[in-house]
Amino acid sequence: MVTFSWLLGWLIGLGTLVVLGILAAHFLVALVLIVPTWRICARAGFSGALSLLLLVPVIGGFVVMAILAFSDWPAGEARGPR
Amino acid sequence: MGAELAALFSLSSAFAVVALVFAGWMAWRIVDKAGLPGWAGLIAILLTLTGIGSLVSVILLWVFAYMRWPRDEGAVALVTGPGMPPGAPQRPSAPAALAPPPKALAGPRGWRLVGAGLTLAVDGSAPAYLLTGEAGGQPAELVVPDPSVGRPHARLLVAGDRLGLEDLGTPGGTLIDGARLLPEHGPRDITAARSIRLGSVELALSRV
Repeated sequence: MVTFSWLLGWLIGLGTLVVLGILAAHFLVALVLIVPTWRICARAGFSGALSLLLLVPVIGGFVVMAILAFSDWPAGEARGPR
Repeated sequence: MGAELAALFSLSSAFAVVALVFAGWMAWRIVDKAGLPGWAGLIAILLTLTGIGSLVSVILLWVFAYMRWPRDEGAVALVTGPGMPPGAPQRPSAPAALAPPPKALAGPRGWRLVGAGLTLAVDGSAPAYLLTGEAGGQPAELVVPDPSVGRPHARLLVAGDRLGLEDLGTPGGTLIDGARLLPEHGPRDITAARSIRLGSVELALSRV
């Protein structure tokens, strides 16, 4: 019983460590993406804070891209033939 | 067991393919809105399919964020107003430019905009001044000859001892002390502002 509790404690501890590691890695990757996305949003005329949606795992990037892709840019868009 | 795993794998693959197609489409539209060829955005997304390609995509994202967009080089006036060339495109979402004050209340002092080798005097003799990148033959124009400045770009409104600024919706954008001014904001009081930015031209505002 004691051995089982010891093993369970180790497993929970290791699991927590893995989750924290994944979160830290996600945060670092998001930071690398947030900085340029912040500037893109600002140049498009949106609030740069929109890029903070990238902190949301999996769908955050899609939401930011969808807003940039399917809405009219307040700062204007390229028009006409190029 | 094998069948379930295969089904799960094919479902995940289907989601991945849908996400990839959707992301490629959105990237195409975003890049296109900036004035670049849409296929460049699609290729950037497709590069993420490979391990090292993901790094390239991140680099491309940084390049896209800080490069000069063709959209900004056009400096096409998008809102009708004084000095607007006939036949120029009009952005449907942009609100109509507000009429200038009916009468100028000229005060004893004026303003001066200094920057980029220019000194523009706003003496208050007219109720409104048009800030433009190219002279259009209008009576009260302040010309800032820069490709990033629209034709016209913004309007200065004089009302007694106060000075207002209104963005006319050009791609270059207008900033007041670093804060973006959008056409939907209408005229903003810049009497206490220290600088305005038209496109890439920074102008210091001072009283004279």
